[in-house]
Amino acid sequence: MSLQEKYQSLLELANQNGTTYNLSEADGVLHIEGNAPSSEAKQQIWDEYNRIDPDFRSNDLVLNIGVSAEGAPSDAAHTYTVESGDSLSKIGQKYGLPWKAIFDANRDIIKDPDLIHPGQELKIPI
Amino acid sequence: MNKKLSLLVLVALALSVFAAACGKKDTDIQKAVQDKLTADGVTGVTASVKDGVATLSGEVADITVKNKAETSAKGVDGVESVTNSITLKPLPTPTPPVADPALTGKVTENLKKAGCTGATVSVENGKVTIKGSVPEAKYVECIQAVNQSGVGSIDNQLQKSK
Repeated sequence: MSLQEKYQSLLELANQNGTTYNLSEADGVLHIEGNAPSSEAKQQIWDEYNRIDPDFRSNDLVLNIGVSAEGAPSDAAHTYTVESGDSLSKIGQKYGLPWKAIFDANRDIIKDPDLIHPGQELKIPI
Repeated sequence: MNKKLSLLVLVALALSVFAAACGKKDTDIQKAVQDKLTADGVTGVTASVKDGVATLSGEVADITVKNKAETSAKGVDGVESVTNSITLKPLPTPTPPVADPALTGKVTENLKKAGCTGATVSVENGKVTIKGSVPEAKYVECIQAVNQSGVGSIDNQLQKSK
């Protein structure tokens, strides 16, 4: 059975509830990337996924559904929330990036690279 | 003799009319199926009808289109059964994930934002292994956070705690 066959009820559901999606596949893993019109619609799809593959143990699907209404498409820029004790170089290490790359991406909110504050949302250029 | 001949002629005539009617009917049904597919937005599928059996062929990208074509054809008057010979195109490959260290950071931070402390992340060639345990009520949300991080694939070993 192909992966599309395995997950066809999930795809049918997406069509019915107004979720748009793209399909791709590599190395035995199906990728469904899309946008649901509401978080309820997204939840329906995840419920169906949980029904087909209880607890998501098959590892043959990557389901990346964003919610359009929230204005947060699945490919939105990644952000990191600063914690107390963080420095730019420490954050950089978490992503394998030089501190300067993070500083450059956030010059609009960071004036002094030695001074960042807990709770700040930093854009991570990856 | 004469009577026999006329009967024969009649039978032959009836047969030819029947055959013609049948042939015409199949073509009509075929056209109706094709029209229905177009109306339902199914493209890339060809229908042929013989003796009321509609055979669908062609190549589509998405299994739901294949299923939809079958449903559409079944709903057409005169179609007795449908043979669905539509094949699925190989899918494109997904966008490759970011480098492993960047992906590790991204998944870790997304898990943190989702309140999934207790989950641990390791990444190798875009494959994200997730271990540890999270409260049962948080489980789906944590799995979603991983799925929405631009990963190549997932090895889900996350446990639920009560």
